[in-house]
Amino acid sequence: MNATPIRDGEAAPPLIQLDAVAKSFGSNLVLDGVDFELRPGEVHALCGENGAGKSTCLGLLYGLHKPSDGKILCNGKEQRIENPSHAQSLGISCVFQELSLAGALSVAENIYAGRAPTRMGVVDWPELRRRAEALLAEFGLEIDVSMPVDSLPISSRQIVEIAKALSLNSRVLLLDEPTSALAPDEVDALFDVLRGLTRKGIGIVYVSHHMAEIFRISDRVTVLRDGRHISTLPATQTSQEQVVAEMIGGAHPGDVSGSRTVNGDKVVAVTGLSHPGEFEDISFSINAGEIVGMAGLMGARRSEIVRSIVGLVQGATGDVELHGQPVKFTSIRQAMRAGIGFVPEERKTEGLFLEQSLSDNLIAASLAEHTSMGLMRNGSIRAASRAAIDAFSVKASGLSKDVGALSGGNQQKIMLAKWLKRVPDLLIVEEPTKGVDVGAKFQIHTELLRRAAEGMAILVVSSDFPELVSLCSRILVVHEGRLMGDIPAEQASESVLLQMAAGTTLPAAASATPDSGAKL
Amino acid sequence: MTMTVQSDYSEKRPPLRRILQAFVDIRELTLIVLIAAIIIVMSNLNPYFFSFSNFRAVAVGMAPTAIIVIGMAILLASGGFDLSVGSVMALSSTVVAMLLLTGMPIPLAVILGLILGGVVGVVNGVLVTGLGINPLIATLGTMSIARGIALVLTEGFSVSSLPVSFAWIGKSDIGGFPVIVLLTILLVIAFDLAVRHTRFFRQVYFIGANEKAAMLSGIHVTRVRIILYALTGVLAALAGVLLASRLMSGTPTAGNGIELQVLAAAVIGGASLRGGEGTILGAFLGVVFVALINNTMTMQAVSIYWQMIVIGGVLVSAVALDMLIRSKRG
Repeated sequence: MNATPIRDGEAAPPLIQLDAVAKSFGSNLVLDGVDFELRPGEVHALCGENGAGKSTCLGLLYGLHKPSDGKILCNGKEQRIENPSHAQSLGISCVFQELSLAGALSVAENIYAGRAPTRMGVVDWPELRRRAEALLAEFGLEIDVSMPVDSLPISSRQIVEIAKALSLNSRVLLLDEPTSALAPDEVDALFDVLRGLTRKGIGIVYVSHHMAEIFRISDRVTVLRDGRHISTLPATQTSQEQVVAEMIGGAHPGDVSGSRTVNGDKVVAVTGLSHPGEFEDISFSINAGEIVGMAGLMGARRSEIVRSIVGLVQGATGDVELHGQPVKFTSIRQAMRAGIGFVPEERKTEGLFLEQSLSDNLIAASLAEHTSMGLMRNGSIRAASRAAIDAFSVKASGLSKDVGALSGGNQQKIMLAKWLKRVPDLLIVEEPTKGVDVGAKFQIHTELLRRAAEGMAILVVSSDFPELVSLCSRILVVHEGRLMGDIPAEQASESVLLQMAAGTTLPAAASATPDSGAKL
Repeated sequence: MTMTVQSDYSEKRPPLRRILQAFVDIRELTLIVLIAAIIIVMSNLNPYFFSFSNFRAVAVGMAPTAIIVIGMAILLASGGFDLSVGSVMALSSTVVAMLLLTGMPIPLAVILGLILGGVVGVVNGVLVTGLGINPLIATLGTMSIARGIALVLTEGFSVSSLPVSFAWIGKSDIGGFPVIVLLTILLVIAFDLAVRHTRFFRQVYFIGANEKAAMLSGIHVTRVRIILYALTGVLAALAGVLLASRLMSGTPTAGNGIELQVLAAAVIGGASLRGGEGTILGAFLGVVFVALINNTMTMQAVSIYWQMIVIGGVLVSAVALDMLIRSKRG
């Protein structure tokens, strides 16, 4: 029936099979009767929004979770996968989105973590290095494998991570966003390796948000939505548009686009901001009511620039003016008092108190407002929390719920609401929609546009270029600590931004190549 | 499509900078230089310092600490921690002494004492991994319990009149060197090599660097952790047995406060409470360094109270210097 390239694959039992699997965490049902199978020699893409249940599926297959209901079969035999080492012994290995490397140890040792070749219990270092080098050579990566992993760039670390999974010689490879830090030629190399593996009959489960990549590598595509199985089709019989439509269901939020009228006064003006070794001669200004984007690739130093402005990073020279007054902040408290809000990139480590309640998180930056005579005023805290939750339609069962228990999108909304409730004159937001689903992204964009319309000046630092194009009126492009351009959104497209951010100095003349695919 | 990645390590640097960098990176080198400096300075200041009898006294005195630091350094590298080592030392020394008084053969009594230390270690390991109790709290509890048991068993008195042959372990020499010191050095070398080169102990660094990643890599984190606590317990018990043999009595108050000396020495030797780093050789050199400083001050008639202040200062400076270097390197 299906046009799978492997003939005998249809006779052999599936490598792995989920049969009506359900999984709930507490009262929260995250998988509801999901069927899924992986045949020998196929790349099977698993698609869905954040929270659709993809990671839970991988976790079930790798022994991190046990199904609440239903069966898991390996080679046609029912298995209860106890833990990752059990999964590995069943021939299943996994590459996680978050890197699982020990930074101070060598590349070779990381690849064979806990499985180094030994002679009478003693690690055979030359053999270990030889094997690691051979594995990395498949990716065209020539590095000294005795170097500590910490000294590698992120993209090489991701390759090390993938090599680590391959070193197990598994029959099943689970890949969770394996290309998120890879350059295009590295993606090509990875795909060559994956095709080589499928020719040997290895099955690959491929989880990714990059539609174009999914359609380049996959034989079949399964879509999950809200923990349910929606469809499984050969890649040739579906399309990027259809998969996206199935992922988000009926409601398609579409792109938000602002009124983009800028008539306010100048809120912030930065002139010649420099920090030796980090960035140089950064100048821009933002008016009230304007959303300005800051685009760049990894290592562009965007974070260092905005953190210098708000007083988190010291040592920069140059002028910053707020409402025409020169300012120089030595702490974030000073910047806050002057009317600046700063939403950091890392939700879990910089933005939220995961074990504290939702309302505690919301008021963390405005404690004084809710205090009288040294006592916290619960009534005003509740009222403020309700208002914030309504504005963002946060899905939570109660104000006293731990923020850590919320989905990524809801966490992001809480983090933003915490700063918006101070009504800053200038809001600086890093990666406002990193790792959130389409619905939450739409709500976050809508709220930012509404605040800008009320006169807030907003600086959005983002690596999501389509987001910047649709949200901002102007975009600053940074490459290795230098401002490459300050372009109106109408002249910006994903490909123009990408070229400028990569340091190619062809600004507006860049051709309007069609986008490489929907990137959610 | 071949990529070559340049690292900071392979960069060409002037030789002097490279040597300096090596000292910063390899704590052992720094400590060896400091220890040599103490010896050179002290030999000139005090004629009694550079003598076999002084070095012998220092080595015998520091042997229990050096044995325990082996376990502590491995635990620290795994992100663990054990405060109960001093109490385990006391417990094993009293229990072995009491067993000997019943007429039990020496080897059997010693082995039972070591097993007892291992049992306390397993309890620590289960409390930390199975029940998820913070190691500081869990081992604070067992520290109190083990010391309490030793005191209850002996009603607070030392257990003496031990068989004379028991003194062989703690008091005799081989080729002019005390057995206790030779055993310590043997253990340090064996464990240093094991931690560098065996698969089992290499897992420790993965667990210490990133416990979750280690679990996801298929490493049996719980099993390894429990074994490490057990090992530390056995080594602490061994230190207790050696002490009992040297003093010819089991003392329920032995090893009081030794856990902090051991921790200080391990950290001076390059271990970190964050886990993922440190070597046995480094920790051992940390013990030697602290012992020599104490010896120096005793010889120069510095009061014991001042010695505490100096050791505290050395510990904080070592860690502060380390943090400073890290932040410079970024």
